[in-house]
Amino acid sequence: MTISWFQACLLGLFACLCSNSCMAGQAVGNYTIGRPLVGGLICGLILGNVPLGIACGAATQLVYIALVTPGGTVAADVRAISYIGIPLAMVAISSRGLNPFSGDAANLAKSLGTLVGTVGSVLFYAVAFMNLIWQAFGWKDIENNKLNRLYGVNFGWPWVSHLCFSFIPTVIMTHFGAQAVTALRNALPMDGIPMKTLFTVGAMLPCVGIAILLRQIVNTNVDFIPFLVGFTLAASLHLNLVSITVISLLFAMIFYEIEMFSAKNSGNGGAATATASNDDDEEEEDI
Amino acid sequence: MAENEKKISKKTLNKSFNLWFWGALTCFSQEHMQTFGYLSSMLPIIKELYPDKKEQQEKIHAYTAFFNTNPMLGSVIIGTTASMEEARANGKGIDGETINDMRAGLMGPIAGIGDSLIDGTLIPILLGLALGMSQNGSPVGAIFYIIVWDLIAYFGQRFLYFRGYKLGDKAVSILVGKQGKAIRHAISIIGGMVVGGVLASWVNVTTSLQLKDSTGKVFLNLQKQLDSIYPGLLTVIVTLLCWWLMAKKHVSAIWTMIILIGVALVGVLVGFFNPGLKY
Repeated sequence: MTISWFQACLLGLFACLCSNSCMAGQAVGNYTIGRPLVGGLICGLILGNVPLGIACGAATQLVYIALVTPGGTVAADVRAISYIGIPLAMVAISSRGLNPFSGDAANLAKSLGTLVGTVGSVLFYAVAFMNLIWQAFGWKDIENNKLNRLYGVNFGWPWVSHLCFSFIPTVIMTHFGAQAVTALRNALPMDGIPMKTLFTVGAMLPCVGIAILLRQIVNTNVDFIPFLVGFTLAASLHLNLVSITVISLLFAMIFYEIEMFSAKNSGNGGAATATASNDDDEEEEDI
Repeated sequence: MAENEKKISKKTLNKSFNLWFWGALTCFSQEHMQTFGYLSSMLPIIKELYPDKKEQQEKIHAYTAFFNTNPMLGSVIIGTTASMEEARANGKGIDGETINDMRAGLMGPIAGIGDSLIDGTLIPILLGLALGMSQNGSPVGAIFYIIVWDLIAYFGQRFLYFRGYKLGDKAVSILVGKQGKAIRHAISIIGGMVVGGVLASWVNVTTSLQLKDSTGKVFLNLQKQLDSIYPGLLTVIVTLLCWWLMAKKHVSAIWTMIILIGVALVGVLVGFFNPGLKY
């Protein structure tokens, strides 16, 4: 499998749309086009192998299931993961002749996607840095009372940043990277230590993504319980995710009712009930 | 006097909302973040309320201050400032400073709630469900995610924007009030369970460690033993290790990954891990 210049340019265009500052808007750009699962579909369409694209996208998505960028610091860049990492993973998997739906192929995709995504965060900072130029234009426009030009500052000029730091890097890395990945196949045999380590790490990387998510959900140790219940339902009882979601709705309903009930009581009652509910709160925290 | 009161037209509000939806972060920089997204989404409103060019320039200055929040829930703040700007144009004792204080006060809490609710819960649930539909390379999961998420994002943000415009700063109490807290708690239960399910369904850390006696017969198959204790035990242990490193030891995500590479390399060398690859 190779990536032609034309295919590389299409990948480059999607790279411009999806990452901060995302030219397709936050919801459509970053949260839709940028997600590896959607990226897998788009790369699959561009490279002409949708099942392989989805397999790579789904595997990589697990690592980045909780891609939060608090305060604009990134550990990984979605344009690099979805439009450089996934295409290269697709090439690597087909050049090694792996079954796209096997665990090995998924682990290779995860390792490659994560590596490219982490290195790619430099693109995120480069675009943000170059946007400072357009913002300086914007301050001048406000000063000179040419307010209509602000639309150009917000929607037009950032394309130049993306041309330099999204489009061109994606085109070059996917076109030439595909050849490099194929060449690497001969340099690194599958039963050597480097490849074994790469595949083992690939299997463990989603744990980091899930752990990032847990950091959001877990405030006290009891918050691990819903997580472990969900894990047990899938691992031991082999329920699928829709079934687990339905079961979790019941628990969510119970918690909602309890919380609303105690909120109502503490709102209407006098000092006595207020302190009682305070005690309850403290008890919850102690567990 | 009431006939002379200025009112923002529905068309302008729609335009302002769409500018935010598509442009909240298009001109992002570390220094100003969403400031220019905010400026361009307020511009149509300023132009309609103040026909005088000089006045437009003066009024837009209220929005030049630094702004950054969760862009999804943040649309409630834009809607709220739209209604405050309208009140300012009608001389109701609101000045630029009041508007700025409101914005600055809300962007932090809204960012915190939005990041945990949208990025931390809603999107993982949707992606988890979508992954379940993606087995054997089926595109159904990705299409499901594209449709469901974008409908929620567009109409949810629209709802919040117009709520903010209609209720002013009262709208925010929907999100931070008691009912909002109860809803968030309930949703976090769903999120926790789904994330556990995602981990068990798609992540599988296994060991290949086997001990053999002198005749070559296997007398200890560690993976089998572990499965009889609790299926998926190693997967949970590795996840909790990553959580512990990041939450308790404040190791960054990248360093956590590097530590995992070290663990994997040592594990491969001693024979604890072996993916069993061949051409």
